[in-house]
Order: sequence, then structure tokens, then C-alpha cells
Amino acid sequence: MTKLTKTKLGTTVAAIALVAAGAAGAEPRTNMLHQWHSGANAEAIQVLGEMYEAAGGEWNQTAIAGHTSNTIARLRADVISGSPPAAVQLKGPEIGEWASTGLTANLNALAEAEGWEDVVSAELVSVMAPHGEWVAAPMNIHRIDWMWASASAMDAIGETELPTTWDQFNDYAARMAEEGIIPVAHGGQDWIDATLFEVIVQGISTDLYRDAFVDLDLDALQGEDMVAAFDQLRLMVGWMDPAFPGRGWEEPLNMMAQGEAGFYFHGDWAIGTMNAAGYVYGEDYLCAGAPMNSGEPGYILNSDSVVFFEQSDPDFIEGQALLASTIMTPDFQTVFNVAKGSIPARMDVELGDEFNPCQHRSLADLQAATETDTVVLSMAHNMSVPERFRRAMFTVISEFITSDMSSEDAARAMAEAVINEY
Amino acid sequence: MSNLPPPPAFKARGKSRAARIAQLIPMVVLLPTIITTGLYIFVFVGWNIYLSVSTSTLLPVYDYAGFDAYERLWRNPRWTTGVWNLAFFGVLYIVLSTVVGVFLAILMDQKVKAENLLRSIFLYPIAISFVVTGTTWQWILNPSTGLEAFVRNLGWDEFTFTLITNRETAMYAVVIAAVWHASGFVMVMVLAALRGVDHDMVKAGQIDGAGMMKIYRRIILPSIWPVMISVLIILLQFAIKTFDLVLALTHGGPGISTTFPAMFVYDRLFAAGQLSQGAAAAVWMLIGLVIVFLPVMALAWVVRRQRGGAA
Amino acid sequence: MSVAENIPDLDRKRPIGAKKLAGRIALYTTLIILALFVLMPLAVIVLNSLRVNEDILRESFIGWPTRITFENWGVAWSEACINAACTGVRPYFWASILMVVPATLISTAIGLINGFALTKWKMPFAGVVFVCITIGVFLPPQVVLLPWAITLSALGLSQSLAGLALVHIIQGTCFTTLFCRNYLINLPDDLIKAARIDGAGFFRTFWKIVVPLSPPIIIVTIIWQFTFIWNEFLYAVTFASSDFRPITAALMSLNADDTGVSEYGFGSAAVLIAAIPPLVIYFLGGRYFVRGLTQGAVK
Repeated sequence: MTKLTKTKLGTTVAAIALVAAGAAGAEPRTNMLHQWHSGANAEAIQVLGEMYEAAGGEWNQTAIAGHTSNTIARLRADVISGSPPAAVQLKGPEIGEWASTGLTANLNALAEAEGWEDVVSAELVSVMAPHGEWVAAPMNIHRIDWMWASASAMDAIGETELPTTWDQFNDYAARMAEEGIIPVAHGGQDWIDATLFEVIVQGISTDLYRDAFVDLDLDALQGEDMVAAFDQLRLMVGWMDPAFPGRGWEEPLNMMAQGEAGFYFHGDWAIGTMNAAGYVYGEDYLCAGAPMNSGEPGYILNSDSVVFFEQSDPDFIEGQALLASTIMTPDFQTVFNVAKGSIPARMDVELGDEFNPCQHRSLADLQAATETDTVVLSMAHNMSVPERFRRAMFTVISEFITSDMSSEDAARAMAEAVINEY
Repeated sequence: MSNLPPPPAFKARGKSRAARIAQLIPMVVLLPTIITTGLYIFVFVGWNIYLSVSTSTLLPVYDYAGFDAYERLWRNPRWTTGVWNLAFFGVLYIVLSTVVGVFLAILMDQKVKAENLLRSIFLYPIAISFVVTGTTWQWILNPSTGLEAFVRNLGWDEFTFTLITNRETAMYAVVIAAVWHASGFVMVMVLAALRGVDHDMVKAGQIDGAGMMKIYRRIILPSIWPVMISVLIILLQFAIKTFDLVLALTHGGPGISTTFPAMFVYDRLFAAGQLSQGAAAAVWMLIGLVIVFLPVMALAWVVRRQRGGAA
Repeated sequence: MSVAENIPDLDRKRPIGAKKLAGRIALYTTLIILALFVLMPLAVIVLNSLRVNEDILRESFIGWPTRITFENWGVAWSEACINAACTGVRPYFWASILMVVPATLISTAIGLINGFALTKWKMPFAGVVFVCITIGVFLPPQVVLLPWAITLSALGLSQSLAGLALVHIIQGTCFTTLFCRNYLINLPDDLIKAARIDGAGFFRTFWKIVVPLSPPIIIVTIIWQFTFIWNEFLYAVTFASSDFRPITAALMSLNADDTGVSEYGFGSAAVLIAAIPPLVIYFLGGRYFVRGLTQGAVK
């Protein structure tokens, strides 16, 4: 594998050297701005650094702690002050927005040389190459619509198969409540609220999801199906323990894995944490795609990617090509994603035993959902709509969860929130 | 301002060339500050105002789009709730910090033993950053990790303490943490002022048979008014900048029940990539600042004038 | 158990005049209860820094260490992984010192000399200058973040501790000038007059008369500046270079709850390490703090 990677890198670098005339003799180096400052994420990014150095580059990184906005603040400050970072972790429609500023570097030559278009999941190509121009390299595919279930809680209600529709889920949850188990573990931050809600919406109808969370269709946002989604959310709020507001995303995960709570709906970065904590699939927790009322497989997709900004220093220009190329190697995609809980963004990478059973399932479900055309881009994780709409919807969802707002009012508020942002 | 006129003797001597040059020195000394703070305040604020009427989104665009961003702001619940929260929090925070601070200062002024130790204890929170203050109080107030879990572990299984998770009361959690942070500082300021109070007046009051309460109310509190204004300015400044504390403590939640204008500005400027909207919100904040600040300045001026007249 | 709730209660308890002993007891009880309340958060962090992380997660964040460990402190200081480098908070600590000390001293010096110029010398527009400086105190940092980025870039100071220090010096000057002006305005004019009659110029008067009389306000200003520059986070992550950042950036990284398994044990130790310099300055300077304020710093 390594041999193959090296030769491939060689040809790529040669191709890029042709494109970037005058770059001959440049020492590839880079400085990547990202927010993976600690824990499993930091280890995963460390892998990238090591591979980059092994490929002959000089690796530097700027990890920004705290909220994503801190990273964006740093990016904006750097861009405005005329020194944009060589590489930065950005995702979703923001890639397109930054590409429109004309400050991003064009990776088309490299993409063509390495045939990215053939191997990258189709859903991602439009995101990474927003105006037909590759400006970003995808690192992984995260699945959002995971249903994690506690093995002991399932035992307690005498079930072995996870629910596949919301009605069935509601039945299970009600029985868990009778057993004294908290049916739904939940964290109390707006993005966690929105993660749960988009899973419900996709489960109610993929058309609703697309109309409301991708196309921002006002009728869909306040329609009957949206009201039904809020009704389901209201039901589930009743099954949460009262201490959830303000809680992070890991605590509910522990509650679920330890059997204190029955279900938890959250993205697959949870796998990284559960591996680290020593929870075992099958013994402590089970996983499945969240219920889909349609019976079709569902998949809410999220992807981390690296965007490249135009540089003037030939060392950095060469470094960008090398970094993009390193990110796209099957080697990196494997090592990085084993640690992060996600699956490779390249569809041609075989998942080995080092991947968790849930990760294997993720790939199988993605392929199945691609067949039935039920793969959607995550709204909550900044893949489908511009940030301002996302924020506006977050506000409504979180307000709904923490107050006694009616589902009808919430649906109307969603439409109003979106319209106010136009 | 009454103290500003220079000694007249100096003015009379300011005829020689050397003296005139000497007179310029303070100007020269102040010039760097005037230039830098001028740049800092007027140019930066001006830049903000310009952005707020432009079409800037991700990056600054220098064009003109009118006052649309200003209006649209007031339809955004995050902003309107934030403004209301700031008003509510600001009043509670300033009043409570002042009351607690003054109360502590009065207690400390009773010739207390170990005054140095106690004063250090009451004062230390101001040395702690807002992020740490918020995080620590979040640990303490969160039902599943803090006080509630602690008391339940002791055996009271029914004990509930959901201040921070209830949207009706979460703001009080912010107030508690903020008052904890500031009231020691207020105490020190007031204590210092109390020590400067004219002791003869107090003695005279005591001889007249006035009780302690009366002496405090009639003699001491009036003479520490100037300090109270400084306290007010510093607390007001903290209140308006409230940001890290809330982010660490409640994340603006439950829902948006503890969101603040400074969070909105940051959110718009950075997370949402809506520079003009964020700038418009910032300008509204500055307008609010002027509205609140003018009466305070006026009050300070009046007090200073009265003192000047009396002296 | 809020401070506020205690007040009416305690007021009632405090007898007026008559029973002196009872009064003293009530006074000390009140003070001790309030002191304990104020100390509680610090105690929680100190105890957590001595506990094993699993204990914290299993029991609650408030609790007595069942097993005492001092390992957290060592890990936080030199081993914890922050921003993908397992260096502990040590390098960040020194970066902070390197940035905060000059910024504090320079802004204090400028503030003192400004205060002198504003109060004791005839200045046109002194009042206007003073009001402007006061406005500077109120500008929310989010608002000036981007203009600062542009300015620093124009000066060639982007992504450096020097640039960060410059930002703090200029903004800090607003605070220090405000403090020093309010202190020096109460300095008797006669002293300055006497010096001038002796032929002393601006700097000589400043050095021989003003500085020797100003230790209280100098200490107050230094404490204030040091604490706020030390604790500042937003500018620290935006303007510092990637490999040499102040300690608040490291703290956020250790205590942010968005990644990894939360390590409250050494997270608490790191918080304490970061809090030590300002705390030490407060405890050492606390005496002067009150004295400084007494002499009119805030009037």
C-alpha cells in the first residue's frame, strides 16, 4: 500500500510541478488551520501530519480551541489581513461561499491527475467542487442519522431487533420508561438539538427533508409533515431526563453505553469516543440507522474537508498539492477514519477489520441509500444550507425543546426564521 | 473638570520661548495616545458603521446597501431576546453586585480581625477569567454533575436544583456567577472609599446619638457617591461585554433564553459570515451604550461639580 | 443559596448597638459564611485537581477526593496534549508571561504619564480627550477584532506575540489613563507648582514628584492590566502565532467539551496553574490595592 501511495504521489507532484511553473526546487510546506485541538480528533489529524512529512513536506498546524466560530474568526482575520492560511478545515456551503471570493486555490489539475471524480462519493463532488472547480479535498464521510441503543436497555424490554419506524421506536421507548430507564439520552446544545431533529425529519420523509432543509421551501417548513416531526420531537423530549440543558454530547453517550439511558441519536464520531472509553459493540451498545417511516434506507451525510487558499510562496503552493494528494490517499483515508468513527470519502477503499462493525454498516447503508436516492446532506452539520439559515433554524428547534411551544407554532416559526434571513 | 485649570503663576511666566516649548511637552506626550486611541475608537467604529450599510457578507465589501441590516435585526429573536436579556441581566447584576459589595464593605469596616485575609478571599474572583468562572459555575450548577448530584450522593434522593436547566431561571445562574465575580471588587472600592470618609463627621453623628444605620445612610453613603459612579462604570462595562461567561456557563441556553447581544455580534461576524448584519448589531450596541452612558456621565459631572464647589 | 438571599436575613440578625458580643458573633458568622460561599468554586477546582478523573465522572464535580493524586498537576504542566502537541501548559504559560509583562508595564507607564499631562498641565480639549478615552473602555472586543487584524497586518505584526501585546497596550491605555487621571487629579497642585517654580520641566516634575507619590495607583493599574490581559481569550487565539500562544488558548483546548473524553482532573489543575499569576499578584498587591483606591484612584 505504501509503495503504491508513494509512486502515486510522485506522479502527482510531477503533474503539479508542470502546472506551477517556477516552482521547481520548492520545498513543500504547509500550515493547516483547523479546530481539532484535542482528543481523538487531534490524534487523527496528527496522522495527516506524519504522512505529510513522510511524503517529504514540512508540516505545521494551527489548532483553534473552543467553538467553530473561533476558527472562522481566525480565518477571517487572516484573510482580511492578506495572509490566508494555506489549508483550512471548512465544510459544506461555506466552501462554495469562500470559492466565490476568488481567493481559493484551484485543484483541478491535481484532481484530474488523480481521478478524484471517479472515486469520491457523488454527493460530495458538488460540495468539494462548487463551481466545477475543485477547491477542497474531502477527508471522510460522517453519518449523522445513527441510532445508538444500550444493549442492557434492549434486554430489559426483551427486544433484540432495533426499531425501524418511529412508531416502533415510540413503543420501545415507552416500555423502557416503564422499566425505569431514561428512554432518550440527549445533550443540551443547539447543534445537538438540531442533530436529533434532522434525524426525525429524515425519518418522517426524505422529501420533507430535502424541501425544508436543502431547498428551504417555506411550504414544507410549515407544512403538516413538519408539524408531525415536531410532534415526534415533543414526544421524545418527554422521554429525556430533566438535566439535559447545557450538557455536552459525550455525557449522553456514556448514559446510553452504561445502560442508564436507552437510545441516543448522534453522529458516528461517537465511535471514536466509545472505543476510547472501552465500550464494546454488541455488549454495551448497538447501532442502526435511525428509523425511516418509508422503509427505505436513509443516510444523512456530513463530511470534513480541507480547503486551500491561494498562496504566493512556491513552497506553500507545492505544499498544498502534496497535502491534497496525501489526504486523498487510501492510506490516509483509512487510518484517519478508523480513529474518527467515520468512513473514507473515497468509495474505492475496502474497509478492513480495523473498522468498527458500525462503520462497516455505515458504508453498506450509504451504498443502499444511494441506490434508493435517500442520501441527504446534513443541515445541522453545516452541509446543506448557508450558516445564517442554519442558525435561524437552530434557534427555533432549541426553543421548542426547552419550552412548551406547540408543534404548529414551531413549524410556523421555522418558516418565519428562514424568511427573515433572506 | 474643575481641577483642570493650571496654577496661574505658571501662565504668567509662559512668555519666553523655552517656556512655550515646555508647554508643548504634555501635548507631545499625549499625542501618541490621542492618535492611537483616535484610530482605535473613531476609525474602527467608523469602519464598523461603514460595513453595516454595505453588502458585506464573508469579507468586507465597500459599497452601499442602505439600512436594511439595521431593520432586519429586530425581527431576529436571537437579537431581541439578547437585548432584553442584557437589560434584565445588566440591572440585576449591577444592583446586586453593588448591594452585596457595599454590604460586605460595611461588615469589613467594623474593625474586623484578619481583614487582609478576608479581603483577599472576597477579592480573588475578579482575578479569575470569565471563561473559568463560567465553567466552574456550570460544574456546580449543572444538576447531573454538580450540587444536585452531590446532595443526592449524600442521601437526599429527592433533592432537585435545576436553576440552570430551567429556561425561566437560567438567567439567575448567570447573575449569580457574575455577582460572585464582581462583588468583591465592589467591596474593595467601597471599603477604600469608606476609609477616606471624614471621621469627625461620624463622631459628631455618634455624639448626637444617631444609630449606625442612620450614620451610614446620612453621612457615609453620600460621601462615597463618586466611588459608586466609578463602580457603576466598571460594572456597566462588564455587563455590556458579557460574552465568555455566558458561553461557558449556559451556552446561551436553554434554547436562547440566556443569549446576549455580544454573542449575536460575534455569531454574525464570524460564524454566520454576515459582516454587515454583525456590524449593524455592533452599532446598535454602541447606540445603546451612548444612551445608557450619557446619564451616567452627566451624573458623574454633577457629582464632581458639587464636590468641586464644596471643596 | 445565593448571596442575595442571605442579605435580608443577616441584616435582621445584626443587632444594633446594645449586645456587643452578640453583634461581633453575628458579624463574624456572616463574614465566614460569605467567605465560604465565595471560596466554594475555588475549593471545587482545587479538590478536582487532586481527584482521579474517573472519580469525578462517577461521583460528581463537587466532592472530596477519595483517592488523592498529585499527578494531574504534573500532567497539566508538562504532559497534557494541547493543540496536537503534548507539552502541557508550560510553553503557553511562558508565552503569556512574555506578552503580558511588557504589555502591562508599558500601558501602565503610558497611563501614568498621560494622567499627569491631562490633570496637571494646561491642555486644550483635555476633557474631550478624557471622554474619548473612556469610550475606549467600553468598546466590545468582538467589534474591533477585524479592524485590528487589518491594522496589525499593515504593521507587519500579524500572528505574533508583539502584535498581540500592541493591541493590549493600546486598548489598555484607555483603562490605565482613566485610572491614573482619576488618581492624579487629587494630587495637590501646590506640589507641582513648587516644582515648577524651582524650574523643573515636565519630565523632571513627573519623575521627581509624581512617580514617588504614585505607587498605590501604579499597583492598582498593574493588577488590573495584568489580570485582564492574562485572562483574555479572543484576541489570544486570533492574533497570536500558531506555535506560540498564550495560556488561555491552551486552557480552552483542555476544557472545551467538544472533543475527546473530558479530563476534568488535569483540566482543573491547568485552570489553577493559569490562575496562579493573577492570584499571586492580587494577594501580594491586595494591601496596596485598597490603599491605592483610598487615595482617590476612583474618585
